[in-house]
Amino acid sequence: MDNKVKISRIHVNLTQQELAEKIGVTRQTISLIEKGKYNPSLKLCLDICYAVNKTLDEVFWIEKGG
Amino acid sequence: MKKITDERLVLQNLKNIRIAFIIQTIGILGILGYDLVTSGLDEMRQNPLWTIFIITGVVLAYLSMSISTDHEDHKINPRKSLIISLAILIFISTIVGFLVSVTEGFSIINGVIVGVILFICGFIPIIYIYFLRKNRQEEEAE
Repeated sequence: MDNKVKISRIHVNLTQQELAEKIGVTRQTISLIEKGKYNPSLKLCLDICYAVNKTLDEVFWIEKGG
Repeated sequence: MKKITDERLVLQNLKNIRIAFIIQTIGILGILGYDLVTSGLDEMRQNPLWTIFIITGVVLAYLSMSISTDHEDHKINPRKSLIISLAILIFISTIVGFLVSVTEGFSIINGVIVGVILFICGFIPIIYIYFLRKNRQEEEAE
């Protein structure tokens, strides 16, 4: 699933490792989410959004069928 | 050791446990099957693995009930289905009890005991399902 985690993460100057440590997951999970290969739970999505100071729709919203 | 908090790894861990469970079950079935072929049904049931296998089956069946009640059609009335299930159960245990008591070599007491055991074995899951359905209905009403 496409998302803007990578862009948002770079915006706040975090590495995958730093973001992972901040929200208590492994770096591999962040990497898989950025590649769209893992479907995170809503709770994890929220944690990512809090860490990068953005809202859910800014990071995860995609147009239907897009 | 640190507790795993990563939800992806927790999920992966559960999937791994499932694979291990499948392998274990195949192994138990293999051992029991070997026992059955080499020394017969009675010998196989002496094996403690048989007890483990049956207990696991029963536990799995009970756990599956809560999934089934969530999955089934929403129009089932718990009280009505409880009465129907109980009626069928009483009918079946009476018939079986009667058949046992008229069988040669068995007394009426044997028939009653078999009937009662059958009734209790059926009664527990029926009551359990009834409470699951009732809880679900109350949740929906809220």
